[in-house]
Amino acid sequence: MTQTTTPIDTTTALITTDRRRRRRLPRQRSAGRSSAARASGRVGRGILWAVVLAGILLPILYLLTLSFTPQSQIATGRVFPDELTLGNWTAMWDRMPILLYALNSIIAAVLGCVLSLVIATFVAFAIARYRTGGGFLPMYVLASFVAPPVVAIVPLFFLLRAIGLVNSPFGLALIYGLVNVAVAAALLEPFIERIPAELEEAAQIDGAGPLRTMFSVVIPLLLPGLIATGIIILILNYNELLFALTVLQSNESQTLPVAISLFQGDRGVQFGQMAAASLAAIVPVYIAAVFMQRYLVGGLTSGAIK
Amino acid sequence: MAKTVTRGRPGRKIGWAFSTPALIAGLIVTIYPLVYLVASSVSRSTLGRPFQEFVGGDNFAQAFGDSTVTDALVRTTVFAITTAVFQVALGLVIALLMRQLTRGQHVIRTLILLPLLTPPVMAAVVWKLILAPNGGLLNAVLMQLGIVNEPVSLLGSPVWAIVMVGLADSWQWTPFVALIVYAGLLALPQSVYEAAQVEGANPWQTFRYITFPMILPTLTAVLLIKLIISFKIFDLIYVLTAGGPADASMLSGFLIFRTAMREFDVGYAAAQTLIFVIVVTIVTIPVTLLRNRTRWS
Repeated sequence: MTQTTTPIDTTTALITTDRRRRRRLPRQRSAGRSSAARASGRVGRGILWAVVLAGILLPILYLLTLSFTPQSQIATGRVFPDELTLGNWTAMWDRMPILLYALNSIIAAVLGCVLSLVIATFVAFAIARYRTGGGFLPMYVLASFVAPPVVAIVPLFFLLRAIGLVNSPFGLALIYGLVNVAVAAALLEPFIERIPAELEEAAQIDGAGPLRTMFSVVIPLLLPGLIATGIIILILNYNELLFALTVLQSNESQTLPVAISLFQGDRGVQFGQMAAASLAAIVPVYIAAVFMQRYLVGGLTSGAIK
Repeated sequence: MAKTVTRGRPGRKIGWAFSTPALIAGLIVTIYPLVYLVASSVSRSTLGRPFQEFVGGDNFAQAFGDSTVTDALVRTTVFAITTAVFQVALGLVIALLMRQLTRGQHVIRTLILLPLLTPPVMAAVVWKLILAPNGGLLNAVLMQLGIVNEPVSLLGSPVWAIVMVGLADSWQWTPFVALIVYAGLLALPQSVYEAAQVEGANPWQTFRYITFPMILPTLTAVLLIKLIISFKIFDLIYVLTAGGPADASMLSGFLIFRTAMREFDVGYAAAQTLIFVIVVTIVTIPVTLLRNRTRWS
């Protein structure tokens, strides 16, 4: 039973087309079950699905409705508003410089992601191919994932202050870039294991050095893995609060999660405005979910099952 | 080792060269904070003036005598175990449902990603709005159905606040568990199921004797990951309850943040952090062992 679920099987199963899995048995059901039992099973599953989907979607749909509901209707506790308004969106827009916060978020998320990917690709390759550092290196790299991030906030705050990068999204990007090396390396490793080593050997025989081999053979083949890992790290960075809250204390350096956490705590802010601000910040991630679903699922599952 | 490209010296050198940036990164984000933490835990340190004087074990003694700290540690441990187990169980059910689908997997997989990808701050805002006593969805529904006459404030209740945080956490993370377990289910060998069908096993027997034992390694792996993630919880507490009312939903991650960044007592926060790390390690060891046993048996 060892390794029944290797990352490789799993991701291939998910990344290749869905049709693949239909080749499995139609359904595990005993030969002798009556059609009535089968029908009731189908109804039961239908009800379960309805509950699951309602649980997932209701909060999101509520946020969407709320952002278009006038405050007068929210206060009276109406579930379905009988008029809709754009007022919450314009009021939110006037109250907070949301584009500036979005820009800060993007700087921190993208630069941090690039830094993590560069560092992680090389170390994951060294671990996968050269077994560098035996069992020590993987443990060392992963240590920062297991330790709660509160461990690092104060020391890293002092470090950034010493190099003058407090209150800057670039300082935050540096922290994200270093902290997420662990996650990036763990996610990339199964993808590297899947690249046939023969190709690298061939490149070596042709006289390519290790760096040349990396850039002209390994990285092109690793592209799907890099995209999957990159999008996950981007979202992790974009969603992060604790480090951002610690490092960014000036108003104009805030990222979206920091700004919205402060915005919702402001007594003058109405529900509809809170909903509009949150929704505006969520939309980019949901767009990623829709268009990058394949990579996201592949990346998430390949790193987690080992 | 069979696939190693270059054996011996050159490979070793290149390996270490390729690992150097990661070694430096680990030095900055793991080793240095740990050393800093140990040093400040035995000193009087504030955010403005670190390392004022050596105080020995005073910070630790204070932490063990402070019921806010010890209660938070116990509460965090219970919270982490409960939410992790609950989400793995629910995630397994959803994953089994997903496997039964004959069409629409693509859409379901996208929908299921949404809670997981929602920034935790925004997820917390959503739940805060739903649970709000004045005009929130829950109270609107409860009042219209006549279940309550007065709006209820679940986040203001010492009993319910932490349960609601757990609910919001489960909304975010159960999809993650479901996706991973689903991926594990897809990777199971089909021949075993064919054999079970030939033997005439009913669906429950098939689950009990085939699916469950085969998916167990995945379940323990994801339980371990979720346990670690649950221990780290910060954002939901920060937005939903700030540890209140009266510290009834205070969890260690938030308490440490408050001590260091709001009360500026870095030394005391460091001592709390070290105790917290030890508790996390002790709790995760049995799960790690369980995981290794199911993995290699």
